[in-house]
Amino acid sequence: MGVVRRDKGGIMRTLTGLILCAVPVVAAPPAADFAHEVVPILKKHCVECHSGAKKKAGFSMNTREEFMAGSENGPVAKAFESHGSRLVEVIGTSDKDERMPPKGEGLSAEEIATLTRWVDAGLPWEEGFAFQPAAWEPPLRPSRPELPPVVDGREHPVDRLLDAWMAEKRVARPEPLGDGAFLRRVTLDITGLLPTPEALAAFLADGAPDKRSRVIDALLADREAYAGHWISFWNDLLRNDYAGTGYIDGGRSQITGWLYEALLGNKPYDVFARELIAPTAGSEGFSRGIKWRGAVSAGQVVPVQFAQSVGQVFLGINLKCASCHDSFIDRWKLSDAYGLAAIYADQPLELHRCDVPTGKQATPAWLFPEIGQVDAKLPRDERLKQLAGLMTHPENGRFTRTIVNRVWHRLTGAGIVHPVDAMQTPPWHAGLLDWLASEFAATGYDLQKLIRLICTSQAYQSRAAVLAGEGTPEWRGPRARRMTAEQFVDAVWRLTGTAPAKADANVAPRAAAGGGGAGPGAAWVWSSDGVKEPHEAGQTIALRHRFTLAAVPEKAVAAVTCDNGFVLFVNGRKVAESGNWEQPVGLAELPLKVGENEIVAVATNGGSGPNPAGFWFEARLTSAKGESGVVRSGRGWEWTADLPDKDGRWVREPSKWLPAVAHARQGTWAAVNGTLAEILAGGGGGPVVRASLMKSDLLMRALGRPNREQIVSTRPAELTTLEAMDLNNGAILTGLLDRGATQILAKRAWTAAELTEWLYAGALSRKPTDEEREVAGELLGGSPTASSLADLLWAVCMLPEFQLVR
Amino acid sequence: MTTPLPLDPEDSRRDFLRKLAAASLAAWAAPVPRAHGVEPVKHPVAKADACIVLWMGGGMAAPDTFDPKRYQPFEKGVSMSKILSTFPAIRTAVDNIQICQGLEQIASVMDRATLIRSAVQPDLGSILHSRHQYHWHTGYVPPQTVAAPHIGAWMSKVLGPRNPVMPAFINIGQRLEGHGESEELKAFTQGGFFGAEYGPMNLPFPGEAANAVRPPGGMTAGRFENRHAMYKRLIDRSPQRDYLSDYQQESMLRSMENAHRLLMSKERAAFDLALEPREKVAAYGESNFGQGCLLARRLVENGARFVEVTTEYVPFLHWDTHADGHSTLERMHREIDAPIAQLIRDLEERGLLDRTLVVLASEFSRDAMIEGVPGSAATDQATVAGDRLESPKHYGLHRHFTGGTSVVMFGGGMKKGFVYGETAPERPLVAVKDPVTIPDLHATIFTAMGISPKTAYDIEQRPFYATIDGKGVPVAGVVA
Repeated sequence: MGVVRRDKGGIMRTLTGLILCAVPVVAAPPAADFAHEVVPILKKHCVECHSGAKKKAGFSMNTREEFMAGSENGPVAKAFESHGSRLVEVIGTSDKDERMPPKGEGLSAEEIATLTRWVDAGLPWEEGFAFQPAAWEPPLRPSRPELPPVVDGREHPVDRLLDAWMAEKRVARPEPLGDGAFLRRVTLDITGLLPTPEALAAFLADGAPDKRSRVIDALLADREAYAGHWISFWNDLLRNDYAGTGYIDGGRSQITGWLYEALLGNKPYDVFARELIAPTAGSEGFSRGIKWRGAVSAGQVVPVQFAQSVGQVFLGINLKCASCHDSFIDRWKLSDAYGLAAIYADQPLELHRCDVPTGKQATPAWLFPEIGQVDAKLPRDERLKQLAGLMTHPENGRFTRTIVNRVWHRLTGAGIVHPVDAMQTPPWHAGLLDWLASEFAATGYDLQKLIRLICTSQAYQSRAAVLAGEGTPEWRGPRARRMTAEQFVDAVWRLTGTAPAKADANVAPRAAAGGGGAGPGAAWVWSSDGVKEPHEAGQTIALRHRFTLAAVPEKAVAAVTCDNGFVLFVNGRKVAESGNWEQPVGLAELPLKVGENEIVAVATNGGSGPNPAGFWFEARLTSAKGESGVVRSGRGWEWTADLPDKDGRWVREPSKWLPAVAHARQGTWAAVNGTLAEILAGGGGGPVVRASLMKSDLLMRALGRPNREQIVSTRPAELTTLEAMDLNNGAILTGLLDRGATQILAKRAWTAAELTEWLYAGALSRKPTDEEREVAGELLGGSPTASSLADLLWAVCMLPEFQLVR
Repeated sequence: MTTPLPLDPEDSRRDFLRKLAAASLAAWAAPVPRAHGVEPVKHPVAKADACIVLWMGGGMAAPDTFDPKRYQPFEKGVSMSKILSTFPAIRTAVDNIQICQGLEQIASVMDRATLIRSAVQPDLGSILHSRHQYHWHTGYVPPQTVAAPHIGAWMSKVLGPRNPVMPAFINIGQRLEGHGESEELKAFTQGGFFGAEYGPMNLPFPGEAANAVRPPGGMTAGRFENRHAMYKRLIDRSPQRDYLSDYQQESMLRSMENAHRLLMSKERAAFDLALEPREKVAAYGESNFGQGCLLARRLVENGARFVEVTTEYVPFLHWDTHADGHSTLERMHREIDAPIAQLIRDLEERGLLDRTLVVLASEFSRDAMIEGVPGSAATDQATVAGDRLESPKHYGLHRHFTGGTSVVMFGGGMKKGFVYGETAPERPLVAVKDPVTIPDLHATIFTAMGISPKTAYDIEQRPFYATIDGKGVPVAGVVA
């Protein structure tokens, strides 16, 4: 209900007007006192619906200018003219549909008289008075604030800015973070991985005063690790994934290759943004959005999606409201959203208000004409180039503020403007935001330098705040952050050596880590009967190979796989198993010995009808002297249908061993040749593939990896009960821990204390306390088994200390 | 849980603005919605405490199930235009209600049902199943700029669990991996912007549901308990005690405890069909859907709030008949007939039917001839060759039709032995009386469950309603 109603009471209004006109004006009324008489009446009856962001019927009386601008139906009052004044009319009428305010008692006769006098006195207004403070409008242009003086020798610009802020706000300075915790945090933040026990030991042993900045530089220089972590941030933000809605029928395309390369090469962010807005072939998936088959609402056609995505990602402006109607919550209008959309549209784009066509055509236009405008007459690709130029224009401070705020949020747990997608919100430290943004532009829009800048501050290197709730985003110290799904899964894969060998994402193959030399030469083998025929589904055989070593190799790397599944034993110790031939297993160590060694594999064919079966194994051995040797499936391997027990042993030696035969069609499994070669060249172990490059699965979903239908800039911070159930009994995590425990035990002979020591260093980047050692020892027992170790792995991975980055 | 506050959609936008200033960081964190408005919501008085949706995924042809028309047996050379129903009508427990042959057991419980024959859906262009399923399950046409919550997530969010250890929203029988439209199904089978806390517990194989609530495969209960005990001891002995009061740590520990409690609770027996008497298991039939109905009953008995059981949507399977429609539906009838009737009888026998709303629905109907609604530009997806019936392959209802779909409701305060709405006797078989749209159908379901269709939560500073724009109106005519 507005002050001015679209009225069915036209006649009534005329009549009222006449009556008012008929009232003789006796004398000039005494001037109304605006502050003491008028304001209280307006406050009591009117401003709730007609001030600030709330403008019922388009009418605000927040300031005199707004008051005089009237409503969407015309003027509300003219100075000195109370007769015929809409204001006086609606507060005085007895028509319930007409009267203002619509609810409650309405104005008293005395109040009506006061307002009438006020109108007749020319609507006097106190200079500068507004009922509500003006909505804060974020500055557009960049600015470079002066740095406050250095306090306590803390020279880092971020610390100078924050120290002054903390002093002013009387916020206690957080305690500095210890070396181990620092290394864990910064490694997770830059590479998404846990520091290895070796890296931890070396860092703790390093006495140099600059070791923290050196380790930051080293982590950033490991571009592959950096890209493997930050690609998740960008995938969320740019709606890129390896499977999802839209891909089914070409309504969506990936930008994976382009994005991964951009991260590897640390592409300057202005170039990065320009390539997303005015795309290259590799980056166009972003601007194409997600096109669903069939009819979609006007607010979701591709050009409007483009406007929404560009607004949100690069500017932290939410144009979703304004894509449907003028926004109620910020200054953006329908025409703004459509103007941006029309830059992308390759044919005329009609404005739709709430999905109803308006008959008006959108004019291509950018949001901040203060710094330039696109030429609507140019062809689309030229307009996009202009838009890209305006977005990354040096005078567009919102572009840089938005990204530095996102990175600050990522590294410290809360935005300087929060939430990060609502950049119209006042920052809690405008100086810090502005300084970071201008420094970012000054250093070539270099994302790695920005991360380095934040990570090298004392502020970043302080202990995480202990908070009772999320509360204010203001600085109390870095906040603990929940590990992302990918960080958790990478951590488990790395600890247990269970990473898959092949990524789902089609990214450039990594450089081979070791000089593996020749390509793999092993053969796919199976039983001798029916090598030329497809093999029976479900057929399980045992394969064996014996060989003699004169010395224990210093290094042994192996790759193994089987169509469809296998369990592998080396010298009576189970070292690997898998049920997916397309995911070969890499082994970085083998329990070999001097003299005779034995490899046994229990190999199973799957499927529902006869189909090819094959087993493949290759190990590369290097002696201390640098001599190399190789053990390959092929000649010299034997098979039997008698199967060993679960430890790979026979109670009674099988009566006959027959020679295993190389499959006639070795090319059947060519799809994994590359992976096998990579495993062998890369040293067999380690995290060949990152979770961020795999399609999401039930475990990652349980840990908060989103469907990337919508832009996601913040993942859920809390673990839900259903998710916790998955962590308790989900098949994926259980399988990883079981497989991992087996492999860890196969590496060497461990005592419970050694295992605990190793696990705490790898998972928590610290030594266990005596009490923890005791509990872990109790769980593992005198001689740790695969199941007791799996349980300890689980318990440690479930600790909040493990799952939080702090 | 935040209490949702109600709204007159007209007033909502202005009201929430007032709250912006006071919003905390928590309220801003992306997926966490803010309760909306200023006055407490006026939720209707609930007529049901639990809801079971029986989902006929793939497009259940009304004329071959619950809305029989003129029967045309298979006959070589007959004009396709003569085919309305490929099954004859049979009598039901209610004099004026007939349904199709093959649904004899359901016919015997139709005196407990309200049968809506006039449900309609908008024609979303090329009528993709998953888009219409998204629409039916969320009330919103995809794509949306925010992730729309599933109807079960709304129940979970607004009403919460009936029994604190039972997940509020359980989804039975749908695999979400490994088929052509699995990504599209995932897009709506979720808590949406409410967050995963309100999303479904997915049990794709009802016979294996017990595994979801027991220790992982191969682990004894003793070992499982011991592992948990050790985990708790490690927390107690952690040197990081300073963080004990940290809210994030606290919430993580709480969720782990809750999960463990369910995994050790007596209610987990509800998930185990092996505990059901053999005759009962047999009465529900062997099919996944039959077992799913039995599981749904056990879960509702033990305090589940919202359970969906599906015949499962997989492109071109089950109800998604693009050829051989008649013979496929003979099988589908067998698959649903006994379990649904048994479910209704069991609920009734246990005194649960009055307070349990059972809704059978599908994303749209089918017709032998017409795609979508008359006048639709959607392209022909059927493989009919010519105007005359030549092969059994073409005998059946194969084309998507959104003009008149059947919905069956049992219990939950709905009328009994009642038909609502009507479709035309001749093609096009559109709803000609009392059409029921998705917002109104949802409003009916929400209202029965005690949720105002105007309930809204804020996301990205705007209200998001249980029914679009808060405009769904419950169908008064079906309520007892």
